[in-house]
Amino acid sequence: MARINIDGAQNVEISKKIPCEKPVIEQLEIMENYTNAYKKHINDNKAIREIECLKTIFPVLFRSIEDDDLIAGRLDFLPIGFGSVTSIGGVGHYCVFHKLREFKEQLPEDQRYRVDLLYDFWQDHDIKAIYCQDVLNDTTTGRFIDCKYPLMATARLSGMMLDYKKLVGRGINGLIEEIEAHNTNEFMHASLEALHLFKQVIKNQIEKVDQAKQNANEQRIEQLEQMQADLEYILDHKPETFRQALQLMWLYALCAGAINYGRLDIVLGPYLKHDIDNNLLTEQEAYDILRSLWKMIENRRTTVNGRIIVGGQGRKDVEACDLFAKICLRVCKDTRYVEPQFTLRFDQKTPKDIMDLAYECIASGATYPTLYNDDVNVPAVEYAMRIDRETAKQYIPFGCGEFVIQGKSVGTPNTLLNLVKILQIALNQGIDPMDRKYKAGPVFVKPLDRFKTFEQFYDQYKELLDYYFELSVYAQKHSYEVMNEEVSFLFNSILMDDCLKRKKALLDGGVEILGGTNETYGNINASDALYTIKKLVFDEKKYTLDQLNEAALHNFSGYEKLHKDIMSLPKYGNDEEECDELANDLFEYVAKGIRNKGIDNNMDYYLIVISNNQTNTDWGHETDASLDGRKRGVYMNPANNPQGGNSKNGPTAVLRSLSRFNAKYHGGSVQNIKFTPRMMHEDKEKVKALFRTYFKNGGCQLMVTVVDHGVLEDAQKHPENYPDLIVRVAGYSAVFVNLTKDVQEELLSRTLYD
Amino acid sequence: MISISNIERFATHDGPGIRTTIFFKGCPLHCPWCSNPETWSVIPVLMHDLKKCTSCRRCEKVCPAQAIAFKEGRWTYDQKKCTQCKACEEDCLNEAISFCGQPYEIEELVKIALKDQDFYIESHGGITLSGGEVFMQFEELKQLLKQLKKHDLHIALETSGSYSNQKLQEVVNDVDLFLMDLKHIDPVKLNQVTGGNGKRVLENFKYLAKEHPEKVIIRTPVIPRFNEDKETIEAILDFAKDNHIAEVDLLPFHPLGKSKWIQLGKRYPYENEKMMEKEKLLPYIELGKQKGIKVRIGG
Repeated sequence: MARINIDGAQNVEISKKIPCEKPVIEQLEIMENYTNAYKKHINDNKAIREIECLKTIFPVLFRSIEDDDLIAGRLDFLPIGFGSVTSIGGVGHYCVFHKLREFKEQLPEDQRYRVDLLYDFWQDHDIKAIYCQDVLNDTTTGRFIDCKYPLMATARLSGMMLDYKKLVGRGINGLIEEIEAHNTNEFMHASLEALHLFKQVIKNQIEKVDQAKQNANEQRIEQLEQMQADLEYILDHKPETFRQALQLMWLYALCAGAINYGRLDIVLGPYLKHDIDNNLLTEQEAYDILRSLWKMIENRRTTVNGRIIVGGQGRKDVEACDLFAKICLRVCKDTRYVEPQFTLRFDQKTPKDIMDLAYECIASGATYPTLYNDDVNVPAVEYAMRIDRETAKQYIPFGCGEFVIQGKSVGTPNTLLNLVKILQIALNQGIDPMDRKYKAGPVFVKPLDRFKTFEQFYDQYKELLDYYFELSVYAQKHSYEVMNEEVSFLFNSILMDDCLKRKKALLDGGVEILGGTNETYGNINASDALYTIKKLVFDEKKYTLDQLNEAALHNFSGYEKLHKDIMSLPKYGNDEEECDELANDLFEYVAKGIRNKGIDNNMDYYLIVISNNQTNTDWGHETDASLDGRKRGVYMNPANNPQGGNSKNGPTAVLRSLSRFNAKYHGGSVQNIKFTPRMMHEDKEKVKALFRTYFKNGGCQLMVTVVDHGVLEDAQKHPENYPDLIVRVAGYSAVFVNLTKDVQEELLSRTLYD
Repeated sequence: MISISNIERFATHDGPGIRTTIFFKGCPLHCPWCSNPETWSVIPVLMHDLKKCTSCRRCEKVCPAQAIAFKEGRWTYDQKKCTQCKACEEDCLNEAISFCGQPYEIEELVKIALKDQDFYIESHGGITLSGGEVFMQFEELKQLLKQLKKHDLHIALETSGSYSNQKLQEVVNDVDLFLMDLKHIDPVKLNQVTGGNGKRVLENFKYLAKEHPEKVIIRTPVIPRFNEDKETIEAILDFAKDNHIAEVDLLPFHPLGKSKWIQLGKRYPYENEKMMEKEKLLPYIELGKQKGIKVRIGG
């Protein structure tokens, strides 16, 4: 087979990255050093190779401390290096080819050949390239993001949220002792070296503080000396104060390439309370430090990550945690950044003052916190992941909304399915009408005149879905195999149960729960299309299936009356029993299908997530007209929400539809709703009651955009006037004017409640 | 069957809490500022939106009664010929034609009303029956109220008060709140401009004020050149005070019904009038306070 070229965008990137502060030649040298270390250790154990490579980028890639930083630690990354996720660099030993090409342009002509050498070498060694070579093909499975395929697959280690409680509880030396006691294999040996390298990073930060002091004023010097003292302390002790604990956690997350941080109230709340109780810190100082953290997270610009989660069940020192949560809520409201994705877990027992603060933050237009209902999610996760209740209480959403268990599970979404495309293939004897290619594999797809009942057609669709589930679980599992073949993810492994005890790397049998998630797209377009077929063909017998399909193949051009009949049918999102039930039926089929495939293939869990980045728009462009009335190339429905413009019965009805799917079958689902500031303020108590009822009725999650009539339209025309207009795309927030026109249009199409 | 023009869930302007508002068709008044003129007649009415019409003439062709015709390129409609078959509505690809008004069984309406019951409970909301004038379909109204009350729903009526006191007495025990219009304190002026029976309105107010003052909120749409003068509004506040009615809602004039008048083929009498600034009415909050009346601007 020809070499698969994976040069191209590999992730959704809205926020503009801050360029590396080093001169380009120095950057090139670092990438060459990295490559040389890799080559030198190419035949060594993967853990040894990894640590030797890491030594070439740490601490050298750390940036200098900026004037208003209150904690130390800013890190650059290059087109070649080591990482976990595509949002910052890449996965394992990576090369991001299109970024390397861009980098080349910055070099003097006579130096560019050096990049070509690197490019050629990494084509055979970049983990993602190796993976794609195995998994991708010309028909069913494409690279993320290449939207011509019904299935997209990728290798990444997204959503790692480490056991920072263990880190701060033991300190670096505590971890070193644990490893030294069982230092019997190369993984453990490399892990030990990783912690010594981590100490080098801290020492380097101390030097950087010294540099920062040189031109600082008196007040700033005081801050920097505090920072330096904290760094020196954590080098050899476990942290004693809030600042020290945060500093240690932050630097470790940077080294691990972790871009989601998890339940920081549990990790940091007790230190915060201790410091405040003992007059070591004022609340204002804590606010300033957290504000600085917010800024540093924003500056990493990972677009769809940066999760900080507070609240919810399974916390020991609730008072301390809530104290932390309240300060975060203030910071979140005041900063209005798109990251961190600040998230509140809550249940019926959450204090009213926290819920009210959260509401005020949302009403101010911050789009945060996103709300997660523990009364629903904890038992749901317990069932979905097949774990006990206490473990389930440690669930956390990452990225666009996938759940993992902090410090215990891997749940990266390495597969994506387009349910609409698969439906169209079922309607066209295995051919995708968008590019006329056959994409049904071994499944015999019958011609339309064979289907005498709706169930017969639905069964055909399900048969094809089953085939894709099979491809999906293979792609997911294989991503772990390939990554495990190449790397140990040392920094991640050290803080994930039960790698050190088992003396095994994360994907080598180390992690306690090896799960995974499959993003599904076009869920509602597909179910509404099925509803059209059921009503117009089989119930009312108004059209034949062939007539409907012909109309769709013609993009409904010349079939306007038929299109009107489709659009007049009830649609999901309006609390209409029959079509909502069909949506639920399809959801359960897909969710259970994927979950069972995971169980059958010995995964601890494999679950669908109904999330969204902007893939609903990108994939929509490559998806033909569908029988829910959606035209060719138009965006698909966002996450679990109806197609834009289709919810017409108001927010109670849409929320009732949205709370319909049983959360125990999925690994995260995203629900968006959009209100005007007028409604959020003048009808505050009514909106609060609306949310409370939704959650009581089984709503698992909600995120709210608050925006005025006409503002988004005006922002399209005059982007310069709206630098901080934040909107919820689905699984993440973004500055509206940074989005592309097509994604902006999709957001505009959504119903705004006033 | 009840003729209904619209059902709005999550209505937030028609009484306390989250509500579902059911708009009845039929009204004995014809207020020139009316924002729901499509509710005047009990039977369905055709609305034609010129902005959406592309003059494709499908409606003309499909109409079996020749009620629709293009004359000199202009769309025309003869209501007398129309048999309400709705073929034109179904065939119009641009949604330029719509019939306003649909018959509902009582049970159907109850079912819809109950859909958001948990939201009402959480927010102390309920059902509002509005219109039009709900008393125009009086027998049906009584039946619906009885059925809704079986489910222990909080029920508000939005009403003009322009009907016999006997009718009011028949329903009063099934209604929790009357959002009753007092468009003018002068019965003659009220009659001249709106066609309502001013005497009956005042009589009904007095009856409710005597028997159930806690069930009444006065609603006054504040209309330019009709009742916007201080004297009239103060008289309404005094009326509330004298009759122990605790709340008066002043609804600033808005021209948002204009497009509906045009779609019905009628000229909107306030076509050049701008939306009234809410601020203009704010002083009445203070004035109300002095009289012991809660004045709210907007509903």
